[in-house]
Amino acid sequence: MAQAKLPRRKIAAYFAEQLLAGHDVSKQVAAYLVESKRTREMSLVVRDIEAALADRGVLLADVASSHDLAADTKAAVTAYLKHATGAKEVHLRSEVDPGLLGGVRIETPDQRLDGTLRHRLDQLTASKV
Amino acid sequence: MAELSVTDLSKELRAAINELEVSGDLESVGIVTRVGDGVAWVYGLRSAGYSEVLLIETKDGVVEAFALNLNEDEIGAVLLGSDETVSAGDKVKLKGTVLDVPVGEELLGRVVDPLGQPLDGGPAIKTKQRGLVEREAIGVLGRKHVHEPMMTGIMAIDAMFPIGRGQRELIIGDRQTGKTAIAIDTMINQGRQKTGVVNIYVAIGQKLSKIARLVERLKEEGVMDQTIIVATGPSDPASLLYLAPYAATAMGEYFRDNKKHALIIYDDLTKHAVAYRQMSLLLRRPPGREAFPGDVFYLHSRLLERSAKLSDKLGAGSLTALPIIETQAGDISAYIPTNVISITDGQIFMETDLFNQGIRPAISAGLSVSRVGGDAQTKAVKSVGAHLKLGLSQFRELASFAQFGSDLDEATKSQIERGQRLTELLKQHQYTPMGVWEQVASIYAVNSGAFDKVAIAKIGEAKTALLTRLWTDHKKDMQELNKGDEKITDDAPVAKILDKVAKAVAKGFEG
Repeated sequence: MAQAKLPRRKIAAYFAEQLLAGHDVSKQVAAYLVESKRTREMSLVVRDIEAALADRGVLLADVASSHDLAADTKAAVTAYLKHATGAKEVHLRSEVDPGLLGGVRIETPDQRLDGTLRHRLDQLTASKV
Repeated sequence: MAELSVTDLSKELRAAINELEVSGDLESVGIVTRVGDGVAWVYGLRSAGYSEVLLIETKDGVVEAFALNLNEDEIGAVLLGSDETVSAGDKVKLKGTVLDVPVGEELLGRVVDPLGQPLDGGPAIKTKQRGLVEREAIGVLGRKHVHEPMMTGIMAIDAMFPIGRGQRELIIGDRQTGKTAIAIDTMINQGRQKTGVVNIYVAIGQKLSKIARLVERLKEEGVMDQTIIVATGPSDPASLLYLAPYAATAMGEYFRDNKKHALIIYDDLTKHAVAYRQMSLLLRRPPGREAFPGDVFYLHSRLLERSAKLSDKLGAGSLTALPIIETQAGDISAYIPTNVISITDGQIFMETDLFNQGIRPAISAGLSVSRVGGDAQTKAVKSVGAHLKLGLSQFRELASFAQFGSDLDEATKSQIERGQRLTELLKQHQYTPMGVWEQVASIYAVNSGAFDKVAIAKIGEAKTALLTRLWTDHKKDMQELNKGDEKITDDAPVAKILDKVAKAVAKGFEG
């Protein structure tokens, strides 16, 4: 029987709610994606789950910088994110990328704050002085 | 070459660095998931609005797009530039505005693309104001009835299907029937008669060589200074073809809203509908009749509704529209032609048969109509041209009878003869728009019977001779007549002059 395609947003909302309630439904969702031949959408589903979690107050953020961040900087970033997004809980995933030259880049599921030197230089190149 | 100064350069660099926007806040970003055929599908950006501009950060710089499909899981956006540099995974930001274009006097005399960028090799266009590409049409209370004439300079139109300022009059016909020629003559006439009306010509997917020729011609005629040309070629993306009429209308609205009068020519809306069909199909909107999307009527109705005559309270400016539609084999009952016919305030129908018979402009007297222009017609032209349309339509009907060669009574014969003379009279070469006095004098000469003995083949020559004689001998009266405020009655002094000169001229062409 042909089934209507379930929107990713609904899958993500279900996953997030189950996860917050303490149930791991990843196998179930994975099985659904395989069965409905939507495994190609996997990375988007993961992003949607992150966005759904953020809507429910649990924020996963990627922080990239040129050097390892000190603990107090991480605390400051966490505090900032809590303030800016209204999240109750913030999980940081740090990444070191020397190519950024300096500053930090914070990426949440659907937002970004790029304060790196690399970004500024790119902007300067794009403005074609 | 200007000397490069290191201090100047460093100053500029410093200024550029200072200008760099350093946003201290989180900004919404999305990701391009698929791209192709000028359409990008974007994940994220849940706060995007309809028709909002998106900035796609590619390796080679920022490419703009606008959001047209807001789905549950993704956004369908149409790219305003080439899709070659955009690739899946590129980050997308919101610009925070809907599309707008520069508007103002600075655009006069320029050739621009639908985003307001110059195409004529001239300097960058810096205007004080910008206008929204998609804007709501003015409401009922902001409008006034159409009452001032928009003279096209084409006798057949001004006498039979007068167009008023603020009217939307469709020019419709097959390919190669002289549709664009009418529009161009109308633009030229605005310069010749010094009406002060601003011309805006929108080329939608027209050959660039044709646009170049048009610009040359307008410069020759000296009307380029009061003209804006919004040009898109066949190789431009469909999104630009789709935007062109809306952007040009925004430019026209500036003049309308500033107590001025503007004339806008959409050449042509058939191609516009085709560009929109392409975009819609690529955006996976369901196709309807002739594969056009469901909102193709709204596409044109919302565009043409912006052409209006404003109320005195709003400055009494106007925007007159002459949309052009190309038909296939004279089929005016196809989808797009019927739509636009029902939206506009009348149509000028061009016929291939007439064109091939040498009757140019090839305007069909039976199928053409102007629904609101009557009030706007110049009094002088109205008084002499009142029965022209009826006479001409009846003549065409009688003429088809007469082909069978049966004996005709005198009344019918004379009607046919008069019709042939009128048809001959209304022939007009391209690039020769006529003033009010020329139109009135020519029509009066034929209607009064003064030219009844002139051979039909010589009507054109007789007309030219009449006009030359009138201008040399009665210049003042003709200048007065050119104002067109007075009705021409049989006992008016100017009627007597016309009668006398016409009879005198006719003698030279009898036989």
